[in-house]
Amino acid sequence: MQYGMYINENRCMGCFACVVACKDWHDVPAGPASWMRVKTIEKGKYPDLFVAFLPVTCNHCLHPACVAVCPVEAISKRPEDGIVTVDREACLGKDQCGLCLQACPYDAPQFGEEADARMQKCDWCLDRLTEGKKPICVISCPMQVIDIGPLDELRAQYGDVRETESFTYSEELAPSVLFKPKRDERNLAIGKIEVTPRVGTEG
Amino acid sequence: MAVDANHEEKIIRSICSSHCGGTCEMKVHVRGNRIVRIESDDGEYKPRLCARGHAYRQRVYAPDRLLYPLKRTGVRGAGEFTRISWDEALETVAGEMNRIKARYGNAAMLHFCSMCDPHTLHHVGAFHRLLCQFGGYTAPWGFISHEGATFSAGVTYGTRRKFLSQSEHRLEEYLSSRLIIMWGWNPVTTEQGTLTPLFLAQSKEKGARFIFVDPRYTDSAAVFADQWIPIRPGTDGAVLIAMAYVIIQENLQDRDFIEANTIGFDQFKAYVLGLEDGAAKTPQWAEAISSVPAATIENLARAYACNKPATLATSISPGRTAYGEQYHRAAAALEAITGNLQFQNWLSAPKKKAVKFNPQLESPPNPVEAGAPPRKNALPFRGVSVNSSARVNVSLFADAILKGKAGGYPHDYKMIWLSNTNYLNQLGEVNKTVKAFQQLEFILVTEQFMTATAKMADIVLPVCTFLEREDILAPRGGGIYALLNKVIEPLGESKSQRQICQALALKLGLTDYGDKTDGEMVEHIVTRLSEEVDLPDLDSLRKQGFVFGRPKKTEGGGQPEDKKIPPTAFPTPSGKIEIRSEIAARINDPLIPAIPTYMETWESLNDPLAVKYPLQLITPHLKRRAHSQFDNLPWLRELQTQAISVNTVDADSRGIRSGDLVRVFNDRGAVRIPAKVTERIMPGVVALPQGAWYSPDENGIDYGGCANVLTKNQISPGGAFTPHTALVQIEKVGQ
Repeated sequence: MQYGMYINENRCMGCFACVVACKDWHDVPAGPASWMRVKTIEKGKYPDLFVAFLPVTCNHCLHPACVAVCPVEAISKRPEDGIVTVDREACLGKDQCGLCLQACPYDAPQFGEEADARMQKCDWCLDRLTEGKKPICVISCPMQVIDIGPLDELRAQYGDVRETESFTYSEELAPSVLFKPKRDERNLAIGKIEVTPRVGTEG
Repeated sequence: MAVDANHEEKIIRSICSSHCGGTCEMKVHVRGNRIVRIESDDGEYKPRLCARGHAYRQRVYAPDRLLYPLKRTGVRGAGEFTRISWDEALETVAGEMNRIKARYGNAAMLHFCSMCDPHTLHHVGAFHRLLCQFGGYTAPWGFISHEGATFSAGVTYGTRRKFLSQSEHRLEEYLSSRLIIMWGWNPVTTEQGTLTPLFLAQSKEKGARFIFVDPRYTDSAAVFADQWIPIRPGTDGAVLIAMAYVIIQENLQDRDFIEANTIGFDQFKAYVLGLEDGAAKTPQWAEAISSVPAATIENLARAYACNKPATLATSISPGRTAYGEQYHRAAAALEAITGNLQFQNWLSAPKKKAVKFNPQLESPPNPVEAGAPPRKNALPFRGVSVNSSARVNVSLFADAILKGKAGGYPHDYKMIWLSNTNYLNQLGEVNKTVKAFQQLEFILVTEQFMTATAKMADIVLPVCTFLEREDILAPRGGGIYALLNKVIEPLGESKSQRQICQALALKLGLTDYGDKTDGEMVEHIVTRLSEEVDLPDLDSLRKQGFVFGRPKKTEGGGQPEDKKIPPTAFPTPSGKIEIRSEIAARINDPLIPAIPTYMETWESLNDPLAVKYPLQLITPHLKRRAHSQFDNLPWLRELQTQAISVNTVDADSRGIRSGDLVRVFNDRGAVRIPAKVTERIMPGVVALPQGAWYSPDENGIDYGGCANVLTKNQISPGGAFTPHTALVQIEKVGQ
């Protein structure tokens, strides 16, 4: 079975409640590692503008690039729900290895600022899922933008839109994320895309 | 996190109390006496926490929390302090209070308290009771946030202001709106409770059209806007009045509503059409003032008049300008003439109190105010005390300290006590306030952090956060109740505001302040409320979060407020909505006219000063702070950089690129911070988010990015605070 994530981009207001709730829940300090980020996509020129916000995290791909490249099998995909987890004890660290970081097109692997930082990333709150609770980003979102559950069920409920502005679906990796995309009807020129907080790989 | 294996993880509830305007539910996970994480309540229509609420653990355990009483050792403002005992601190405070009282009189003592932790036991009432028992003090009047709106509601409807926000539980009214005009309102950032943007999203999904009128393309505009109308700061009233012109010319007004419920339409019409001053307030007239195209104004007016029910969501922000009360008056007139009153943001229908018991701490009258006449711009709904001319406007305390009686203030001031406010940072003209503080004989600050204000203090007393003490949310007159449980014991030697007052009362020899603990007070309030309101028992209340308390049916007891606003019986002189206000007319000041009037602000682009300082500065909120609160927390700081937003055109002409360090300055001061070059603000306007902590170098140049270094310390004639009326220049700082 594969779990998935659904994002209603039309509602996301870029409030960062999910970002901080995630850091608080998983005890991730301020710094270069952030399991949850929000992209701000700005298009157009004054006064014709389009701005969208998009939460981004690990997409727990069907064929995760990080698992394939990890030389010590520190990253694995759980057969029961498809969630990709990392064994930080086994990880060689960013300085010695860092292959997962290069392999993932979605910048999911995160590294803290400590020396020899080991990989960390979103696990869709396995601890909560195991207790039958939704992940912290889902329940902290004031606008109820995010849902996480079995991918089939999400598709049945929300449809099967796999791409949106600034997110390209990789056929090879098959990320487990669905969207209700926010459409720029005027097709304005792309301005800038910011990721908040700035994580190590994107700074 | 180091898991405390000796203690099981428990969840204790509280209500986030951070002066953002919202009250959101908090489920705090604790192990022993340690908060380990914080969760939202995801129940249906429970307001979930924002980023600040989720970061509260970092606030409680911030390494810079003040945990012990401090005494100043260096010169004022240098930030040099030494730890002292509570006993020594309170002895010093009591000694100074007694000395100043004996030498200069009670009126020489100012006490100002803001809305941090704005609930029942630890709010201004705790201090007011103590200071009145001590023989009185000089209290403030005026709301920094919304005095313009308050004035408008007072003279137009004779009532207090009201805003459709989460705490009012009337958000469903948005859902029936066909059109929502978001005038200067950015609830995605300011929130006023997280249910507000959720309800707006649901309104949009139901088909409501959203038009934003704002100098900035805010994050709210990003989420909701079908149309964005950029407008020059300080000119909102002109556009609203020109909308009235279009409506009157095209006969789109609601004549029946006007006839039945309002007075003064004819005089307003005469002003709008220019029958007296010869200047018709046409869309072309407003275009020249506001930069909003005349055709846009015409379409906006027609859309508003012809899409009922429509919401004119006039934020309090455009009212924080010179003559800001006229913007609110114009909006009220527009709502009245179109009969769109259902959604009036600033009207609070007169209501019978459903619950008689007032849970606020009682206080004797303030002897300093005895016999003082009301102020010239007193408002009828306000009590004698708040209207007293013995008070000083909250925004003007620095001016009052500097000028005293010679400057027309009621007294000369020698001491100030500031509780949970960072007013040095948050009021106009920081450099002037710094000078004012230097003149005082004694400064007491009760605080959680070493703010710019606390740095000026002689004694700093450490206050605990709301998670470290008991309180109750119990609105006067009934509604939603909730307990704020003590989640952990206070850190260090910090105390609750009320405990500080209790301890100081004893040092002052006051024996009747009250010796009940905070917990006993909460119990007492619940017991008394339960006589009138159906409430669960104390234990259940502790576990439930928000509870709607239905008033018990008793003889002579009131009914809950009717959700429909009765269109009659307003407590105005005429009993109607006063488009021409008798109360304003009686004030007899040409700058407080009886008819909603557009008046050009000081420091407009027509001011000769604009040659030197050609950019209009606005000072909006930043979502990672609640005013100056939370500015020091790492989880929040990494979300947004304190920077000045500049349009690409203005940046290009000055050779400024995003991230460049710039100097923002005028005659009042200078700030050095990075520029954020953006398409999302209109040319000619720059935005510096208020609340960043003032951090001057030895030359007084602020590197913290505190907006009020640049704003003016002047209030509008009706009382509006004016931080969005300031001219500045920016330049790139050399490498």
